[in-house]
Amino acid sequence: MEALKATGLSKRYVWSGGSNQALKEVTLSVPTGSILGLIGRNGAGKTTFLRIASTSLLPTDGSMQILGHDVVDDSVAVRERIAVIPQESRPFYWMNPRELIYYFLTMRGHTKADARTRADEALAELGLTEYAGTLVSRLSGGLRRRAMVAMVMASDAEMVFLDEPTTGLDPLARRSVWEAIRKAAKANRTIFLTTHYLDEADALSNRIAILEKGKLLAEGPREAITAKVKHPYRVVVSDGFSRSELERYGEPIWLENRWLLLTGEREAREISKMALERGAKLSLAPVSLEDIFMQIVGKDISVDEAEADEGA
Amino acid sequence: MKERKLPSVWAIVSMNGFLPLRRQPLFLINTLTSPFSFLFLLFIVGGAAAIPYGVAGGLVLTILSIGTSLQGDMTHYKTDLKFQEMVVASPVKAGTYVTGMALSEFVFSIPGMTVFVVLSFVYGHYIFLGGLVVAAALVLLWIFATALGFTLATYLADVRETFMIAPILSIALTVVPPVYYPVDRIWAPLRPLAYLSPTTWAANLVQGALGLSPTPLTLAQGLLDGAVLLLFAIVLFLIAWKKAQWRER
Repeated sequence: MEALKATGLSKRYVWSGGSNQALKEVTLSVPTGSILGLIGRNGAGKTTFLRIASTSLLPTDGSMQILGHDVVDDSVAVRERIAVIPQESRPFYWMNPRELIYYFLTMRGHTKADARTRADEALAELGLTEYAGTLVSRLSGGLRRRAMVAMVMASDAEMVFLDEPTTGLDPLARRSVWEAIRKAAKANRTIFLTTHYLDEADALSNRIAILEKGKLLAEGPREAITAKVKHPYRVVVSDGFSRSELERYGEPIWLENRWLLLTGEREAREISKMALERGAKLSLAPVSLEDIFMQIVGKDISVDEAEADEGA
Repeated sequence: MKERKLPSVWAIVSMNGFLPLRRQPLFLINTLTSPFSFLFLLFIVGGAAAIPYGVAGGLVLTILSIGTSLQGDMTHYKTDLKFQEMVVASPVKAGTYVTGMALSEFVFSIPGMTVFVVLSFVYGHYIFLGGLVVAAALVLLWIFATALGFTLATYLADVRETFMIAPILSIALTVVPPVYYPVDRIWAPLRPLAYLSPTTWAANLVQGALGLSPTPLTLAQGLLDGAVLLLFAIVLFLIAWKKAQWRER
């Protein structure tokens, strides 16, 4: 069964004196139980898509079903089965993680006893037991975010939406949140994650979707997307090759003291053979998600929508 | 998971009312500051005779402050904490959320209400069933304040705007209208303007119940005051219901 099915989904924001087409006829299916990472540059339309899916925003055109229920016409049924952590959301500073989870669950309709049990389980699962009684105001940014992940994961929501869950966190805190998401991704629960951190999408997702200027450019398992790109291999050679020589196999990029080349399987084999013959240092690997993004979108993910337009 | 209204309301009241009050007792004093400042000023300027009006005004202002606090909290939860978005994506319905938020603001007003109710018995001269009249007036005013707070929160884009709105509301609804003084102090040709404010009707009831009106509060006058106050609340709720954006367009 599909947890999410969007068909021709469009969203246009209109204000006095202007408008912005945030989503353009997006068609996307997410199987139940998968972790989908929706990636794209800032302003690509990720949050708009997620907010429509989590019933906070109405689409302009097209349709979307969550767990078989329409997000517009049957939003009550959708809301009974989902939970969301919005972008830049923060927990109440006057509560501790145990209270946050407990009251969030009782507010959603869990009984007191069930909420207590689930809160303790979630705290243990996400490594928050020792902070269970510590006020949020005294917790680090990473722990606060983990507490929020625990809130939604402790619920019985069949589908959980996480919008940029680690934005603004330091690398260590990000990894602790990743660990929390991995642990909390229980069997048959679908997780929909938006991020502009490609390592995050790579680390957490088993399906990737790439959004650019409101259009869905690619979607599927990581391997399937890798197979679709023109250059599925990343070759780095340190010396013994000239630019003109490498240009026959792709577009080489000089990185201080070595050449980086994204290329095809046959070409990679040829370069490897030549490097062995010449005794040159070489590394060969499948392309990273960053390389894939560059090939599909044509821009680095760190370039914002406005900056890219100025440069174009 | 289906919504369970009462436990949901209770959870919101606990999250936004009891817990912050328990963790930050200064909130108790905060709700008392404005009404007591007016009471103090009235006492300095008008002497002991002005105290009953200060008490009647204090009751009205304490309840009205629920609305100003509500618009601040709801805007903060919507724009800063993104809590409202988490509630939207849950079984909790808009009515349940607003009820929970309104009751949680009432929790903050309990200390002020307690003090002013006690003072009303000390300085007022309750008419027969006057306590019930005051209670009814304050309940209607609470409904109005909730609708006002909810409506304003739907229009405000940033919590800083709420800081600006609160004092304007306070002046427009409690300082200028005859809340802390009798309506007959207003120059007669301008008196109808005072009745544009719902707090005038609420104060009429409270002052009448405390025996402060120049003419005794009649049943007909009381019913009229209550009906107009209820009308204000209903109209504001209808506006809020139509304009409020539980789901953005």
